[in-house]
Amino acid sequence: MEETSEKLLKLTIDGIETEAREGETILQVAERLLIDIPTLCHWKFVKPYGACRICTVEVEVHGKTRMVPACTYNVRDGIVVQTRSEEVIKHRKMLLELMLARHSQVDVVRKLAHEYGVDTTRFEEMPSEQCINCGLCVRVCAEVVGANALTFVKRGTERYVSTPFEGESETCIACGACAYVCPTGHIKVEDIRGRKYVVSELALGPTTPIHIPFAAAIPGIPVIDAQSCIHMQTGGCGICSKVCEPDAIDYEMQDTFEEMEVGSIILATGFKTFDPARAEQYGYGRLDNVITSLEFEHMSHASGVTGGALVKEDGTEPKSVAILHCIGSRDKNFNEYCSRVCCMYSLKMAHLIREKIPDADIYELYIDMRCPGSGYEEFYNRLLEEGVHFIRGKGVEVSSAPTLATAERAEGKKLYVRCEDTLLGVPRELPVDMVILSVGLEPTADAEEIARVFKITSKADGFFMEKHPKLAPVDTLSDGIFIAGCAQGPKDIPDSVAQGAAAAAAAMSLIDAGEVALEPITSVVDEEVCTGCKTCMVVCPFGAISYDEEKHISVINDVLCKACGCCVAACPSGAITQRGFDDAQIEAELAALLMS
Amino acid sequence: MPRLQTAEQVKRFQERCKSSLDEFPLVVSLCHGTACCAIGAKELAEAFEEALGGDKSVKFIKSGCHGFCEVGPLVVVRPLDVVYQRVKSDDVPEIVERSLKKGEVIDRLLYHPGDNGNVFAKEDEIPFYAKQSKVVLALNSHIDPYSIDDYLAYGGYGALSRALLEMTPDAVLKEISDAKLRGRGGGGFDAGRKWKNCREAPGERRHIICNADEGDPGAFMDESILEGNPHSVIEGMVIGAWAIGGDDGFIYIRNEYPRALKAFSNALKQAHEYGFLGENILGSGLDFDIKISRGGGAFVCGESSALFRSLEGMVGEPRAKYIHSVERGYHEEPTNLNNVETWANVPHIISRGAKWFRGIGTEDSPGTKVFSLVGKVENTGLIEVPMGITLREIVFDIGGGIKGGKAFKAVQTGGPSGGCLPASSLDLPVDFDVLTQAGSMMGSGGMIVMDEDTCVVDVAKYFTDFLLEESCGKCLPCREGLMHMSRILHRITEGKGKPEDMDRLARFGDAIAVSALCGLGVSAPNPVLSSIRYFEDEYLAHINEHRCPGRVCRALISYHVDPARCTGCGACEKVCPVEAIQPVPDEKRKDGLLREIDVAVCEKCSACKEVCPEDAIVVESPAVTTEHCRKNVTEMR
Amino acid sequence: MADITAAEKSPANTAEGIVPFEPKIIGFLCWWCTYAASDMAGTSRLKYPPNVSIIRVMCSSRVDPSFVMRAFAEGADGVLIGGCHPGQCHYISGNYKTVARISLLKKMLSQFGVEDERLRLEWISAGEIHKYAKVVTDMTEKVRKLGPLNWRKNFEPK
Repeated sequence: MEETSEKLLKLTIDGIETEAREGETILQVAERLLIDIPTLCHWKFVKPYGACRICTVEVEVHGKTRMVPACTYNVRDGIVVQTRSEEVIKHRKMLLELMLARHSQVDVVRKLAHEYGVDTTRFEEMPSEQCINCGLCVRVCAEVVGANALTFVKRGTERYVSTPFEGESETCIACGACAYVCPTGHIKVEDIRGRKYVVSELALGPTTPIHIPFAAAIPGIPVIDAQSCIHMQTGGCGICSKVCEPDAIDYEMQDTFEEMEVGSIILATGFKTFDPARAEQYGYGRLDNVITSLEFEHMSHASGVTGGALVKEDGTEPKSVAILHCIGSRDKNFNEYCSRVCCMYSLKMAHLIREKIPDADIYELYIDMRCPGSGYEEFYNRLLEEGVHFIRGKGVEVSSAPTLATAERAEGKKLYVRCEDTLLGVPRELPVDMVILSVGLEPTADAEEIARVFKITSKADGFFMEKHPKLAPVDTLSDGIFIAGCAQGPKDIPDSVAQGAAAAAAAMSLIDAGEVALEPITSVVDEEVCTGCKTCMVVCPFGAISYDEEKHISVINDVLCKACGCCVAACPSGAITQRGFDDAQIEAELAALLMS
Repeated sequence: MPRLQTAEQVKRFQERCKSSLDEFPLVVSLCHGTACCAIGAKELAEAFEEALGGDKSVKFIKSGCHGFCEVGPLVVVRPLDVVYQRVKSDDVPEIVERSLKKGEVIDRLLYHPGDNGNVFAKEDEIPFYAKQSKVVLALNSHIDPYSIDDYLAYGGYGALSRALLEMTPDAVLKEISDAKLRGRGGGGFDAGRKWKNCREAPGERRHIICNADEGDPGAFMDESILEGNPHSVIEGMVIGAWAIGGDDGFIYIRNEYPRALKAFSNALKQAHEYGFLGENILGSGLDFDIKISRGGGAFVCGESSALFRSLEGMVGEPRAKYIHSVERGYHEEPTNLNNVETWANVPHIISRGAKWFRGIGTEDSPGTKVFSLVGKVENTGLIEVPMGITLREIVFDIGGGIKGGKAFKAVQTGGPSGGCLPASSLDLPVDFDVLTQAGSMMGSGGMIVMDEDTCVVDVAKYFTDFLLEESCGKCLPCREGLMHMSRILHRITEGKGKPEDMDRLARFGDAIAVSALCGLGVSAPNPVLSSIRYFEDEYLAHINEHRCPGRVCRALISYHVDPARCTGCGACEKVCPVEAIQPVPDEKRKDGLLREIDVAVCEKCSACKEVCPEDAIVVESPAVTTEHCRKNVTEMR
Repeated sequence: MADITAAEKSPANTAEGIVPFEPKIIGFLCWWCTYAASDMAGTSRLKYPPNVSIIRVMCSSRVDPSFVMRAFAEGADGVLIGGCHPGQCHYISGNYKTVARISLLKKMLSQFGVEDERLRLEWISAGEIHKYAKVVTDMTEKVRKLGPLNWRKNFEPK
């Protein structure tokens, strides 16, 4: 109905003549004109409610003046609105005094009252209550989220917000919208943290369903996590599409699979970090404040969950930190190889901790310090000078209480890291606030699958194998498929970049050549001998053999033939030979080998 | 019973009902309203049924409220046309023997107010009835509310037949507009305009709703109409649906009215059977039905937007009404909401015409208004008076003046959110606009009379507490503001009032009235503001002198024995629950004081005052303290 | 008795005298997996017996059973066939065909009196260099124990 009547209404607000669409409220018009009208129960994404009455303004309609709430009053033609007249101010002061009587300790009320010069109230003061009964939580839950998990209980002065029948709500999806809109902080995130959905696979803190995957993501466009998005799960909410001015939110968008025809492929599928829960002795997942190096990175990053602050589970700063090297690396029980990067990043972590908490005790528990690379050894020396304690000896166990009689004692709740200091030749037990496990690098979970798809080979440790370690370090046994980075084996960033550039160059050289040289090794049918039995056609996995109806013989397509030689061995009449591997050649090889 | 299809059929059927009613030479109409039933009308009905024993010549009617509740149970015997009052089961055989069989009047049972020997036999002779002009309640004592045939016999559903079969919806609208019928629920909004707006509002469906959520303390107008003549409401609503284009109807009855609910449900069933509801009503093509929705007893649900929310199955909370409910009401669709009495007026206007209607009452408020007259008057009950009648006529002529010959202090009109009007306002004509100007309102028709022994502050406190209790709590001024007003009033009645409290009450009251969200909140300060306007001295007496002029506020009164009257019977001593009354030993006895009340112990329960045969217990305000007790009292004497 | 049989066949009892018996084993290794593993094993300086002489084929399915027969006929004491693991064949399904052929061949060889251990089919991927070394060592020892096949003599005039 509203759409069809595009009649504009004229009105005057604080002396400004303006126009409004039918159905618009005074508050909406005022917002457009940047006229500030205070509100406590209004949020533009829920329906106007008119409970707090703070937004009351003076309206003159047909010569009669009356006080109306700006949030619910629809503009009528020719009205004159005063948002800060003497009457209005007097009125708001009275309402704020009323609020102060019951909510003297609520910041938002105190602040607003102070703005109006109201610091005391004539009303009888009561013990301060946090909830101002604005109903935003109830409405956001019903109108935006669609969960209807909150409601008002009782009425009048006894009215308060709770779940229906005050039980645990079955419809609450723990989205936190109620806490978000609550102007007074009466509803706290802490109350529901345990049930809050965590999108990140890291155990450090929640994020929202709509987020930019990580700080340097390319393209830097937010994504919606369908699993935790209220709209995707329940059909409610949709708040993002309401706030997005360019209208860029598309809930219908689906993952698409695109097929590309390419001449060469570079596999740079990376690695995954070792899961330290597999090594139970380090207490990861069992003891508080035992974290992995990647989680430390997540935390210390300026755009991370704590904004770069280093904190323990209880929110306080750790005063002593142990960094345990070679977790999942150089370990017969897990991976025998050295992950190559851990020594250097462990040094970097120590440096970061020293920078952020200058008085912290930092321990590096290492087997060997491996610092090969430009400037690496120098960095190690710098750390030595920064007073980091280096203990030569792998950390063997982390526990919540000391186990050795010789354990160093400390006040308060500590983690105890047991190790053998091989330079001193004594077993030690270090009391620390936080343990960081320097986890090693492993092939990705689907490395085997990738190898199968691309017909390349893997090494015993699961990383992809190059064609030749020296002569063809980025090639694979499959022509046109190249590997680079940690997919090939653990390596640091400079090495990965170098290998990536090499792989790209190798791929480019194929493209540059413009043509592909076929392998000369293919099979051929001797037309004279072939009986046309078609056995070869059955065994050929590539469908490279066709039957010549005229000649009644099999014909092999040279381009399709991949030269496995299966047909050669299968041909009952010996009509097929494989170039380079014909029977005579192999027999000659045999003869030569067995000549004695 | 086949559904009636034409005007002719209706007319013939009405005549048939009338002739079958006329076959009874004798009629006994027993008031079977809620009030009379509470004082024995039920037993009386059984006694009558037994005594009559299926006598075919007598029609025994268990009717709705006759109105004169003060002297119930009431029995009217026709054609003798006498009203018997305060009838007991034992009187029944005598009534049957003498009045029915022999046509004699039993003087003993006639209404005889006071000791002056005046006796009134006929209904229109009784002063309580004499000044009334009954329209809506006219049939109450004549018909059995459970019989649609009775209603038809008195021309019932004739208006419906006329409207649906002889008038266009526009013509009906015009008739209602011309009649200047104003909403009887309190607002006094022009019903014709409301209907027209609703009809013209854009929307798929239109709803016709009857508001029967009568929550005012001491009000029972709507209840009596629903109990006594439910078909008139149904008829009015169907006519409304025809005029407005209504698709469905609802009646929102509070669950505390089980009898009204029962009578109305029965009436709905009967109207269905006869074809006055349902599909193709009277062959006019109108499909309309009424559903009953029971309210849970929240006062605020009488407010239209809260009522709609409650009907929708949500919490009954009002919301901003800057868009009228005729445009967006129930389920955001055009809705026409009128109260019971308004709907009951509609058939009368259609059958007798707008001109007749405007002949009653005043120019701007034509018609009659039903009031429940309660409080400290001689004759309490349900009255229907033409608009424009003065308060004095209501209180002194119909109401018979103040009980016990005491002085009139004030009358509260408009229910809890109305206002207190003093003696100086007694000559005001009662209509919508005059009452509003005087600081009160018409409301739905509650009228509470107060005598000199009423404390105005206490009454204001009572109503404020009632409204505070019933406030939904949605908007700040009503929720918090009323609470603070209540606290101040409590303080004042406890003798802890401060001089600045007067100013604060007025300011806070004004603030609430200006900024509250719904009608309940806006009118909530009325009792306080109007009583301050007319009885400021009483407030000041409480605050400054710690004196309660009505001698009601417990903290400000004390009980004493008047030595001049006390005979020393000891009745008071026996009932005192806290043993505050003791005989005075001989040696201490002065001035002939036989009993003494220890004011330090006295709980001020007033039990002694009620039992004292000599009326020797006196109440003093301000309260007299122990040390000076006797001295002061003696001096006062 | 088995020991005596072995002893009879052992080179110590032959005319050549005390030269120890070194079995000659022919390895037909597929290019993509087992050959790559052998190459890597060599690059990795793994230590294993030199008795296996390798003939590289594109796929284990190229190994015509007649090659095996010819190898034995021409004096080989054992034949090792190496291919990719099932499901990882570079030619999709070549190794499945190899399995079918070799198991039939083994049945035939047993009828000729050739011990089962002399023909061995192994799946060794390119990364499994240690497995390659182990298989070669193990097979060499087993064939050594069996002694020379000396099948060739059957074809020579007595």
